[in-house]
Amino acid sequence: MKIASQDKAKTRRGRHSEQVILFSAGARTFAIAADAVQEIRSTDSLAGAAIEMEQADVPKVRHLIERSRRTYFVVNGCAHFGLRLTRPTLVLILRQIRVAVLVDSIERMVEIGAVHNLPKAFEGAEKHWYRGLAYLDDCVIPVINPAGFLTKEEFARLDLVAKSAEVEHQLEGAIEA
Amino acid sequence: MSAAAISDRGAFVLLQVGNRRFALPSGNVVELAPPVRLHEFPHESKFVAGVIVRRGRIVPVYDVAPLLTGRSSSLHRFYLIAWLALATGREASAIPVTGECELASAEVFERNPDDPSYFAGRLALDDGPIDILNFESIVATGSGKAPAEEARS
Repeated sequence: MKIASQDKAKTRRGRHSEQVILFSAGARTFAIAADAVQEIRSTDSLAGAAIEMEQADVPKVRHLIERSRRTYFVVNGCAHFGLRLTRPTLVLILRQIRVAVLVDSIERMVEIGAVHNLPKAFEGAEKHWYRGLAYLDDCVIPVINPAGFLTKEEFARLDLVAKSAEVEHQLEGAIEA
Repeated sequence: MSAAAISDRGAFVLLQVGNRRFALPSGNVVELAPPVRLHEFPHESKFVAGVIVRRGRIVPVYDVAPLLTGRSSSLHRFYLIAWLALATGREASAIPVTGECELASAEVFERNPDDPSYFAGRLALDDGPIDILNFESIVATGSGKAPAEEARS
């Protein structure tokens, strides 16, 4: 039987190229469309603004933050992807979706030529986590689907908890004042 | 051999997974790929080890060794890429194989009734019978969509 030679994924630059941010969480690299991210902040800079949420329904969310009168739920990236928990240093605040994602680091911003469909073999939650796969510098990198961090049901449950958490936070602030 | 032959001589690719040899209908086989890099990323599809890149396409790799041989096999030299029919369509998919593959043609016999359903039959070779794999059934069993059956030792 003939063995084919090694080759690399063909990248199609131009028509479908897009800017992505490469970030790491739990020693894994992911890509997210640059225009899906509104802001990147250090966890330290948001520490005072984060409100703790006591709930067990969505364990990957432990805090919320208020930005421009919107409530953003802070999703731990490692917990979301089932990775060993690390100490995140950055928060990606998403643009269209009320989610902020805790990540370990930003690697770089880069243009990718194409997003390949996730193979049909993948039939688990990853179908919602990823838009597809990018081939970059001899690495296959999953491209994040920003809408995949929280489901509608999870948003609804978190919104309920958020109301009481915000009221409690305001009360604590009033008592301290 | 006691079982009746169910077809004339068919063409098969003989492959080695761990310490066992199996056969796959040659019509399903796309190519034998070199040991390119296995790319892994977080996912929840058990039985999928990761992906490889072949000819500009991203090909999923199924970790079939534990199911077929009862143990993991970290030693593999090639990837056998074959067509896999899924409910959502056909997809080229890879199996890590330990040895070199070869073509063979022999009579096909029915599988033993107590064999796992992912064996489609047996190939009567001069040096002994070899189980013929049903790739779709392996993936269904390995991913938990079909009732697991104990692999023969």
